[in-house]
Amino acid sequence: MNEKCAEVWQRLATALKPQVSGDTFKRWFSAVELVDASDEMLTFRVPNNIYQFWIESNHMAALQNAIVSALGAPREVKFTLPTTRGGEADADEAIAPETAPEPTRESKSTGSALGLNPRNTFDTFVVGPNNEIAHAASLAVAQSPARTYNPLFVYGGVGLGKTHLMQAIGQFVWSKKKTTKVIYLSSELFINEFIDAIQHSNLVKFRKRYRQADLLLIDDIQFLGGKERSQEEFFHTFNTLFDGHKQIVLSSDRPASEIANLEKRLVSRFEWGLTAELQPPDIETRMAILRMKARAMQIKLRDEIFQFLANRIRTNVRRLEGALMRVASFASLSGKELTDEVVEHLLKDILQEEARHSITIEQIQRRVAEHFDVRLADMTSKRRPANIAFPRQVAMYLSRELTKASLNEIGDAFGGRDHGTVLHACKLVRRRMKEEDGLRQTISFIDSSLQR
Amino acid sequence: MKFSVQKEKLLEGLQQVQNVVSTRTTLPILSNVLLQANGNEVHLTTTDLDVGVRGSFEASVEKGGATTLPARRLFNIIRELPTSEIQFDIDGKNTASIRSGQSFFKILGLPEEEFPPLPKFEDAKVVSIRQKDLRDGLRKTSYAISTDETRYVLNGVLFSFKENKLTLVATDGRRLAMLDIELEFPRSHEADIIIPTKAVTELQRLLTDNGDVKVSIGSGQIAFDLNNTLLVSKLIEGNYPNYKQVIPSEAKERVTLERETFLNSLRRVSLLASDKSNSIKLNFSKNNIDITANTPEVGEAKESLPVTYKGRDFSIAFNPEFLMAPLRALTEDEVYLDLIDEMSPGVLKIQTPFLYVLMPMRISS
Repeated sequence: MNEKCAEVWQRLATALKPQVSGDTFKRWFSAVELVDASDEMLTFRVPNNIYQFWIESNHMAALQNAIVSALGAPREVKFTLPTTRGGEADADEAIAPETAPEPTRESKSTGSALGLNPRNTFDTFVVGPNNEIAHAASLAVAQSPARTYNPLFVYGGVGLGKTHLMQAIGQFVWSKKKTTKVIYLSSELFINEFIDAIQHSNLVKFRKRYRQADLLLIDDIQFLGGKERSQEEFFHTFNTLFDGHKQIVLSSDRPASEIANLEKRLVSRFEWGLTAELQPPDIETRMAILRMKARAMQIKLRDEIFQFLANRIRTNVRRLEGALMRVASFASLSGKELTDEVVEHLLKDILQEEARHSITIEQIQRRVAEHFDVRLADMTSKRRPANIAFPRQVAMYLSRELTKASLNEIGDAFGGRDHGTVLHACKLVRRRMKEEDGLRQTISFIDSSLQR
Repeated sequence: MKFSVQKEKLLEGLQQVQNVVSTRTTLPILSNVLLQANGNEVHLTTTDLDVGVRGSFEASVEKGGATTLPARRLFNIIRELPTSEIQFDIDGKNTASIRSGQSFFKILGLPEEEFPPLPKFEDAKVVSIRQKDLRDGLRKTSYAISTDETRYVLNGVLFSFKENKLTLVATDGRRLAMLDIELEFPRSHEADIIIPTKAVTELQRLLTDNGDVKVSIGSGQIAFDLNNTLLVSKLIEGNYPNYKQVIPSEAKERVTLERETFLNSLRRVSLLASDKSNSIKLNFSKNNIDITANTPEVGEAKESLPVTYKGRDFSIAFNPEFLMAPLRALTEDEVYLDLIDEMSPGVLKIQTPFLYVLMPMRISS
């Protein structure tokens, strides 16, 4: 061990010896080396794993006492073994075991001990008009937990940044004050642990853990829908934390009022604080995301490639980043030139996904109704006058063209109409488009506004 | 598939394989028992994908074949059947018609192709152990297995085959039980393997005091062949901690105790040990041990035990259950307790190669 560590270890050993018997110290601690000492954590190297098991099971209290008396304050304790890469011996923090992030070389000052991905911080979050409210709210919450918006309810579709924001809040709060009890987990894990606690009669421990949090971050709260008992448990947890002025942050894929089978009293509590939506980013934001990601990974690509990606992948930031990785890896591994065709081929499946999910029938109906100045209800009504029927037919045609819905599905979406009706509508619109230039322009205008 | 069987034989066969079936299973086929009929016997197999058991029973097989039927349900039906002679008739759609006396049952099964096959053991290392030895050994160690799922490597018993000796080790970090069995096997068969708790429990159920069990060690799997039954289990992957380090090298004081008397005293005194301060104290003085326990607001208990003890006066506290468990499992009349001081582990020993290391609890003054 280096000199500083040697000195610290000397002090520790002196404080430890009186607490354990001489025999114990000789047997378990004489072979221990202090390899790293920071303000938050002490890393001990031990000859093999039995040392870690036995010391953790039997001598942790004595060790922490020695640390406090020798160094003034408790520290986190970590053990490493000589043959491994100084890697993750199961040290004793373990709050919310979410999927661990990549090797924690930088980890000591990040919240990876809490199960947070160190890449998810406020610094790496690209702000745009689609998420500025959610971002500002998250920042406010992180800076003064429980004093601004409590609870904070963030919702949005897939890959738009809910987890990123939540984890950023967690990291921010934890980095400010390491003793804050930050718990991050998905509601599914909460439910599973709850069920487990019931089965093993460990409810007291379960409740203690979650109700003593200073900051509770729960991802994908929509999974609570339909699980009555878990909802009840969460209700009590929520109340305890809320009344104790502890911050709660929740994320979901839809607004609280739209979560199926969720108790009204939970819905009202979720809506109590601030509800913020995360929308898909617009083109400038997408470009900014790509640029930031590329800079972080030191990827250099032509501007046109960025534009291509930003143009074609619109709904899902995760997909966007994945596509960037794929293109960058291909470029560096194959050394081939990247033309639009090559990229198109490379990202064939991603682009297909995009096309499938981007537009819904309801969106089409809305836009068409707006354009032709009819009501949304007219789309599904049985009224036949041409000024109502024609927009309806146009909407049916666009549904057929822009979504992968079947004729039957489209018919259902338009007030339970027959698939033959839809087919007829499409034929009619097509014919008229050929004949009338104006109509073709109108439809292409609606089309592009739908594609944003 | 068609066969008839005696109720007792079938019941016995089912009992052997029942326990492995897990009650909460994701795959429906896992709650079924595989029946394979040919010759004059029917083989039963159950599995939960980690542990599998295969047994058999005698039957008059009219037409061979294979199918799977819900294990629990089948067992409950057979148990209640009135007469001794039972006829099974299973059609091509895996529907079983069961007749016995005036009772008729029809249950739907699943095809045998869906049943996960038990692993094969080609090129396995084979060792033969006396059932009595293994049964005794497991009984004396299995109670110390860790139940903490985060330390999965400890959720089983270590079988260490080295230098003509099989060492069984079980520990949960606070206590460790270890036992040696003399065994002959070639150098090439030396291995350290960890058998998961569920397999150990099943094995203990199947072992008798007679005969041998043939142990086959494959890669990541182990098979125990005994009394017409085959138990197969996955092995726990990982490195078992170096348990030798835990064992104190020398004792300062050694006390000889009568096992049963000691156990009974402990049992009585521990009635007054609470959940919060779950410890009993042993106060050693000349030729005497005072065993005490107290719970604030409730009361206290004390028993004096005359022993041969000439060492210094001192006290040490232990978790009562951790101290009683080995005493219950042992059968010897006399046990030896090796102690160093009140902060060092105590070691329970007997005449044969066995030891039990137990960490003391802090005595709060």
